[in-house]
Amino acid sequence: MTDFFQNTLGMSYEFAWFTATIAGILLIALPLMLAVAMIIYVDRKVWAAIALRRGPNVVGPFGLLQSFADGLKVFLQETIIPSAANKGLFLIAPIVTFTVALLAWAVIPFGPEAVLADINIGLLYVLAISSLGVYGVVVSGWASNSKYPFFSAMRAAAQMISYEVSIGFILICVILYAGSSNLNTIIVAQIGHGFGLVNAFAFNLLLFPMWVMFLISSLAETARAPFDLTEAESELVAGYQTEYSSMSFALFWLGEYANVLLMAALNAILFFGGWLPPLNIDLIPWFDIPGFIWLFAKIFFFFFVFSWVKATVPRFRYDQLMRLGWKVFLPLSLAFVVLTSGWLMLTRYG
Amino acid sequence: MIQTLAFYLFAVLVTASATMVILSRNPVHSVLWLILSFFNAAGLMVLVGAEFIALLLVIVYVGAVAVLFLFVVMMLDIDFSELRAGFMKNFPIGVAIAVVLLTELVLGIGAYRAGALQLGAPTGDAVPIPGRGNIDSLGAVLYTDYLFLFEAAGIILLVAMVGAIVLTHREQKATRGHQNIGKQVRRNPDEATVMKQPEVGAGVEL
Amino acid sequence: MDYTASLYATGAEIGLSIAGLILLLVSAWTGTRYARLVTILAAAALFGAMIFSGHLMAESTAELTGDAFGGLFRADAFAGFAKILIYAATIACLVVTPKFFDARRQYRSEYPVLMLFGAVGMGMMVSAVDLLTLYIGLELSSLASYVLASFARDDMRSSEAGLKYFILGALASGILLYGMSLVYGFAGSTNYLAIRIAFADGFGTGAMFGVVFVLAGLAFKVSAVPFHMWTPDVYEGAPTPVTAFFASAPKVAAVVVLARMALDPFAGQIASWQQIVIFAALASIVVGALGAIGQNSLKRVLAYSSINNVGFILIGLAAASAAGASAMLVYLAIYVPMTIGSFAALLMLRDEDGNALETFDDIAGLVTRRPAIAWSLLLLMFSLAGIPPLFGFWGKFVVFQAAVEADMIALAAIGIAASVIGAFYYLKFVKVMFFDDRTERGIATSPAGHWAVLILAAVIVSPLGYLLTQPLGAWADRAATSLFIPV
Repeated sequence: MTDFFQNTLGMSYEFAWFTATIAGILLIALPLMLAVAMIIYVDRKVWAAIALRRGPNVVGPFGLLQSFADGLKVFLQETIIPSAANKGLFLIAPIVTFTVALLAWAVIPFGPEAVLADINIGLLYVLAISSLGVYGVVVSGWASNSKYPFFSAMRAAAQMISYEVSIGFILICVILYAGSSNLNTIIVAQIGHGFGLVNAFAFNLLLFPMWVMFLISSLAETARAPFDLTEAESELVAGYQTEYSSMSFALFWLGEYANVLLMAALNAILFFGGWLPPLNIDLIPWFDIPGFIWLFAKIFFFFFVFSWVKATVPRFRYDQLMRLGWKVFLPLSLAFVVLTSGWLMLTRYG
Repeated sequence: MIQTLAFYLFAVLVTASATMVILSRNPVHSVLWLILSFFNAAGLMVLVGAEFIALLLVIVYVGAVAVLFLFVVMMLDIDFSELRAGFMKNFPIGVAIAVVLLTELVLGIGAYRAGALQLGAPTGDAVPIPGRGNIDSLGAVLYTDYLFLFEAAGIILLVAMVGAIVLTHREQKATRGHQNIGKQVRRNPDEATVMKQPEVGAGVEL
Repeated sequence: MDYTASLYATGAEIGLSIAGLILLLVSAWTGTRYARLVTILAAAALFGAMIFSGHLMAESTAELTGDAFGGLFRADAFAGFAKILIYAATIACLVVTPKFFDARRQYRSEYPVLMLFGAVGMGMMVSAVDLLTLYIGLELSSLASYVLASFARDDMRSSEAGLKYFILGALASGILLYGMSLVYGFAGSTNYLAIRIAFADGFGTGAMFGVVFVLAGLAFKVSAVPFHMWTPDVYEGAPTPVTAFFASAPKVAAVVVLARMALDPFAGQIASWQQIVIFAALASIVVGALGAIGQNSLKRVLAYSSINNVGFILIGLAAASAAGASAMLVYLAIYVPMTIGSFAALLMLRDEDGNALETFDDIAGLVTRRPAIAWSLLLLMFSLAGIPPLFGFWGKFVVFQAAVEADMIALAAIGIAASVIGAFYYLKFVKVMFFDDRTERGIATSPAGHWAVLILAAVIVSPLGYLLTQPLGAWADRAATSLFIPV
């Protein structure tokens, strides 16, 4: 895009780069916000369908505009700051959550060339940014100066750190197979990986269990059901969001869904070939369909899985959550790092 | 130009937030400033081309260490007035140490600038390979030349872990909340439930 | 890179690490049930490593078979000698441990595992020919030591000892690391040989700072004055078998590291560090001798005794000659059985309830109650004091001889004078045990393991030990010469 600004519009290189980057950010962030609004609607529709209800169906055709109505509502609400809260941090916390949720999208490839920042250490960057997500929750819990948010913050801190450990090991397995931590290289490495037919890492005996663990861990990392202990309404009212209202509440909401979409995108990119078409056969002109459509389809599929899980699986108890993270996922993922690297040593580098 | 701007932005923020770590009265704020300072230090690392170190700094320090730090500090019940009570008493010593350190810094940098200090030339053959990322170069050294030390460092971490467990872990009897999930999953309805059709008024013998 | 030779040279460390990992798994799965078995296996592994180190040492005819892992690790005779001592001391400490903790039901199978890893770290330290290897080995052994010091975690004094050791040890590591970074900055390499070449024309001001910091950090680890202040507290608070360990194996390792550091990378500039070592030696001898006088706790007295002994060892280093290094090794070889024997005797002194007899008052008239322990202690104390027919005398003799040969007559004279002061409290032991009225506290019978260690130590320090002078001197000479290789 820099080329475009430089050559077509005749800007100087630095200015063109700057404009291109800003344009890229807007091109990702604005559709993302729109997607979040729509995906909330989809989420509610899926739960409704599973619970044999109708879901939102009043605002706009099929209730499509429901999220926008909700958004308008919170915009017009008064921002209430509890008198005993730590004012600055209380207001910063939702901004942190929201910003961090957007940050990671910088390295997500939407097509062979369509990446905002095509960096070598893309996957590490994603890991680093997702480990920041916990701050919004912890800070909001502490700054609210109220017991339920505080409990929620404690839970969130422990939960996210626990699951990040095994996510790290899972990502190492993927990096080992792809030989790079650049997300585009990882996607390209998946061409015909499954039996020379399927463009996905998930069709590999060593990586399939990793994908299952990654899917579950991404539920835990985004604190979605069944791991939504941070906002377990039966125990903690609404968790860290208890004291929030109006825009700051909406920011949490947006950040949370942007994170969910990110995790769905990561599932698609790391294990299901990202912007590649699912099969490596060109009988039908699949490769002519733009890559981002495939990616969006895959993200949408994983989002459906997420809301399916949320509607059907009961919430874990806290000790069960910790047990799963530390006693099941951690040893398993560690064992698979050894297995994967051993297998690659034997077959690829041996 | 952008690089210079970014450098000054990060450098100023690192220094400012590091200052705020010691100046803020609330320990939680201190930790949060510390996190900001780590983050900007990572930015500086990116500027010098050490992107791997930068991300490690974020993942390890910001993402894990500082979270646990925050976790602990948040739960501490700190009496601020008590903390500040000894301030005036220790103030002269603090100032003295600061002055000594400042003098050392000024002398050291001064001597270096004046050419009085001769630094050794690196003897290693660690020439950066063009087109190779941080991770590749680091791994190529770490797993060959320094393999022995790398493994030994692993054993250090193991010892640290064993030590922490030995010093804190206490055997507990299984109490409430203990659950054997494998056992629960293996159970089947036949052995867990009994169908009874009691006569009216006869009751059920368990 | 061909690893075969490297792996062979580091065989003892690798074997011990593997044994440690396996035993750790065993202890993780069986809990405390097989703690004794784990201890025996750990001792067996150490014994194997000892044999292997002896084999490497006997075999290293070429003196320098090339450093392992591209100049990180050197398995020469000097390291071999130290390793044999370290592993033997660790085995002796393992033998006396279980019974001590059994009385309090605190023994766990992690204890021998930590000892094993500590021994691995010490082995790396003495073989280190690179600052990085040294630092990693040092941290490995220190970290294990910190945990061992507070192993009796329900005991306030043990926890205090662990914490104190940890904080001061971390500070010392920091100082050492700071010094290393300066040395690295001015030499341009962390490799000993490269440092030696870089400093062949003398240290600059900056490099001198680094050298001083490195020496200070190591002085802390050998508990030489002025970095000795942690020793009495930690030795008193730590469980007695752990104290015996601290006073023997890590001290050997740290002294050997200090010697290698002084005589290999800094060998070009002996005059620069010699004064520092002389000062530390004399100050240790004097402080060790004077500090012990007012003490009533036996463990504190032995702590000061160890500071005192380090002073004598450093005299050998101050001589900066092959004879001095050899004398130092001979002294270490005699010091280890003396100190372990003394602590074994302390371990055996406990009343029927299992409480340790810790003060001079408790051991009054010991000869009438437990003559064998009293007589063994007599031998050990006379030997520590350096009274002629005993083996301890020989150690002091060779050290002073080396100092005199290196024209350090004043140093030797002050050392001898101070050793007379030091004799005071060793004699106090004897006086209290043999001539004071007995107290009425009963003394429990002692387990066989303790007896074995005590009697072995007593036999070594007795005049019978002189039978060892010939082979010991030969091995020490050989080890010392391997240190002095021309660049």
